[in-house]
Amino acid sequence: MNLKEYIASGIIESYVMGLATESERAEFEQMCGQYPELVAERGKFEESLESYASEQAVPPPGEVKAKILKAIVTMENSRKPRSIGLLRFVAAAAVILLVGMVVLYYQVSQQKKDLASANKELLDRVNSDEETINKIKREVSIPNTTIVSMVGTKRAPQSSANVYWDSTNSSVYLMVKNMPQLASDQQYQLWALIDDKKKNLGVFDATERNIILRMDSTKKAQAFAITIEKRIKGGYPTPTLDSLTSMGKTQLTQ
Amino acid sequence: MGMPNTYTEQQLVAALKERDNPAFVFLYDHYSGALYSIIRQIIGDNGELAGDVLQEVFINIWRKIESYDQTKGRLFTWMLNIARNASIDTLRSKGYQNARKNQELPENVYKAASNQTTQQNVDNIGLKKLLEKLKPEHRVLVELAYFKGFTHEEIAEMMTIPLGTVKTRIRNALLQLREYLK
Repeated sequence: MNLKEYIASGIIESYVMGLATESERAEFEQMCGQYPELVAERGKFEESLESYASEQAVPPPGEVKAKILKAIVTMENSRKPRSIGLLRFVAAAAVILLVGMVVLYYQVSQQKKDLASANKELLDRVNSDEETINKIKREVSIPNTTIVSMVGTKRAPQSSANVYWDSTNSSVYLMVKNMPQLASDQQYQLWALIDDKKKNLGVFDATERNIILRMDSTKKAQAFAITIEKRIKGGYPTPTLDSLTSMGKTQLTQ
Repeated sequence: MGMPNTYTEQQLVAALKERDNPAFVFLYDHYSGALYSIIRQIIGDNGELAGDVLQEVFINIWRKIESYDQTKGRLFTWMLNIARNASIDTLRSKGYQNARKNQELPENVYKAASNQTTQQNVDNIGLKKLLEKLKPEHRVLVELAYFKGFTHEEIAEMMTIPLGTVKTRIRNALLQLREYLK
């Protein structure tokens, strides 16, 4: 179909008056992009339609204009607060964000301080532990020291401790590695087993790990044992074997 | 009062897209009569209802002016189609149908349409007046398509004539109308 036929087909009128189908519209718009002549023809028809419609105008009821203008003002006003509302929201969000960041900053710097002091404390402790160990090393002459690894019994399989026993000067040190926390009315008690007798070497609490305690001295020991006893001053004279938590045999003196 | 007396179409569209109130007042003053006329031609002799439709149409123009594309046609063409669509929607709305309960049902719209052209003179203005010059078989198709908003398919079914015939007759009728407009 050539352009003249297309123009004469009634498509222009159909398009302008809103009677063309979707595909006809698309085609017409595409053709208009290609042929200025078609656009000019469309313009002519639109102008004649407009001028005829203006001639045939009917004045609308007088109150309609005021109603429309009022409706538009209302629409515009409802449009504006929305943007102010958004602005307020953004401002509020910014303030909240800022406050949040300040709070976060203080928290982080507080945490940093706490961490630093905890670190220092830890370092101090390590240093003091090291000092103690060095002291023990100095005091306990290594060649004559028996290290007894205390093995946890069924009752307390996790418990672990070492006894350092210097047979030359009879001194006993206990290194608590991991002993379960006890009820407040209980305490641990270390015993030396000597020829089927049990000698009280003192009581201790296991509130801290990896501490070294000086216990009572003993000249002889075939084994050491730790029991849990009722908290009394100086400890029980005889162990409650039911509550034996750890035991370790010495390799010497047997 | 600083309100321009005239605008070129370009200026008017630009001002409307800027949501310029005086431009909108100008638009109303210049086009409300023509648009009110087409509304009356479609929904009939109910001035109050037509006024409501006109209000809706201008509010839609205000709202949708951003989407108006000058490459696709004149501003008036665009507004005329908004007015026509709003009028047809009103025609089909429940409220309108209920208000005309005792009149023709939509299935009998062909009958209603042909009755209307002979009975009503009050709104026999504008394009509708031009329809009288058409051959009856053309007139009824334009009436159904343009003034009642039926699709070509619906009309073909309603009138039991082939779709191709409906399309050709409507196109021919429109070409004839164009001649009358000159």
